[in-house]
Amino acid sequence: MKKLTRFIPMLLIASFILSACGQNASEDEGKTALQQIQDKGEITVGIMGTYAPYNFLNEDKEYDGFDVDIAKELANRLGVEANFVAQDFSGLIPGLETGKFDILVSQVTITDERKEQIDFTEPYITNRVKVIVREDNEDIQSVEDFVGKTIGVGLGTNDEAYLRNELLPQVGEFQINTYDDVITTLKDLDAGRIDATINNVYALKPVIEENGYDVKAVGDPIKEDQAGVAVKKGNTELVEALNDALEEMKEDGTYKEIYMKWFDEEPTE
Amino acid sequence: MDVVIENLPFLVKGAYYTLLITVVSMFFGFLIGLIVAISRIKGNRLLRGIARTYVSIIRGTPPLVQIVIVYYGLVDYGIELGPFTAAYIALSINIGAYVSEVFRGAIQSIPKGQTEAALATGMTERQAMRRIIIPQAIRYAIPPLGNTFIGMLKETSLVSVIAVTELMRSAQLLVAQYYVYMPFYLAIAAMYWIMSTFFTFVLNKIEKRLSVY
Repeated sequence: MKKLTRFIPMLLIASFILSACGQNASEDEGKTALQQIQDKGEITVGIMGTYAPYNFLNEDKEYDGFDVDIAKELANRLGVEANFVAQDFSGLIPGLETGKFDILVSQVTITDERKEQIDFTEPYITNRVKVIVREDNEDIQSVEDFVGKTIGVGLGTNDEAYLRNELLPQVGEFQINTYDDVITTLKDLDAGRIDATINNVYALKPVIEENGYDVKAVGDPIKEDQAGVAVKKGNTELVEALNDALEEMKEDGTYKEIYMKWFDEEPTE
Repeated sequence: MDVVIENLPFLVKGAYYTLLITVVSMFFGFLIGLIVAISRIKGNRLLRGIARTYVSIIRGTPPLVQIVIVYYGLVDYGIELGPFTAAYIALSINIGAYVSEVFRGAIQSIPKGQTEAALATGMTERQAMRRIIIPQAIRYAIPPLGNTFIGMLKETSLVSVIAVTELMRSAQLLVAQYYVYMPFYLAIAAMYWIMSTFFTFVLNKIEKRLSVY
């Protein structure tokens, strides 16, 4: 009897481990990601959900924005429904790799480092990144003035990698504070707990208008970033299908329509 | 595993901040808890009411919400705290409520005869509390305090949301750089575990020390 009672927990643990292993073997073996999406009739799109005007929750409590419209249009052209899942930016790429999302349409900037991890479509937008400071701040005019200051940035964003790996060695020591979204970064800038942040000009407009923050963009753009739709590495058919859809959108004017709707200006290509 | 070894100094720095926040918040939480517990037992009706409401609100809301309110919420009323100050305040207030419950239980578990005997020797209520009741109650409170303490250590991971680079945030930063989850999270899990084991060990020592009462 004693042997048996000691055996049961072991059996339970073993069966648990085995069942966990078994779950990964899906019945979709041999089908491409594109086929799986079309079989299911829906594509799961990862977004931040807190990044107006790109992707945010609108008054009707639905996801809305430039990214969201682009993703819906892409899904449409693949003949499926877009299903949006919001998550902190830092969790988006790992989530894509574990299959939590089929694609990311959330201003994921195309960088060489990321290309090693994931695949990208052709860029669907170019963003100009500027230094943002408080209205009353006169001592920061460019990135050279960051030395000894505290700079806020989104965790896991390309801007964070840029600050940490390129700017720090270049201009000298400054402190980097990381946030989970643009809203909290700007709130802390407005409160004066950080001295500056870097972000693209489009992203700031709605947040500033909404909250009446006294912040301004200074100097020339630091860099121009191109964002693409991110896809799990190796899903080539899906990337090609998305590229074709993007190309079509640009040719028949749908892309321009969406761009004008959100940014009130012509797309710069 | 190499990436972890490579970034160990960075993680250790995060662990240091985790410990710092734990110890500071625990110290103030201890004081708050003691005051609240005594006002719940000995206070007049108003004090008792305030103490009870405080404990009820803090125990009935998630610590994450409390932290965010202290850091991001108070700004709207012109109170701008630094990340560390906000973490200390939020966690001290949070832990104070739990500690007060521990103390209240401990104080009430001291037999009534002890107070009566103290009063009979001519002590005032206050003296009896300070010299006779509290020293005994603290000894009873040690094991549940240890629980609270270790809970506190783990709750510090929540302050990663307010730009404090403690252990959790350090791991998140590394994950964002290397795109690998498991090694870093396993590493910090081990570090949390080592820290809480160490705390347990220290508390056991203190308990033995106090068993003279």
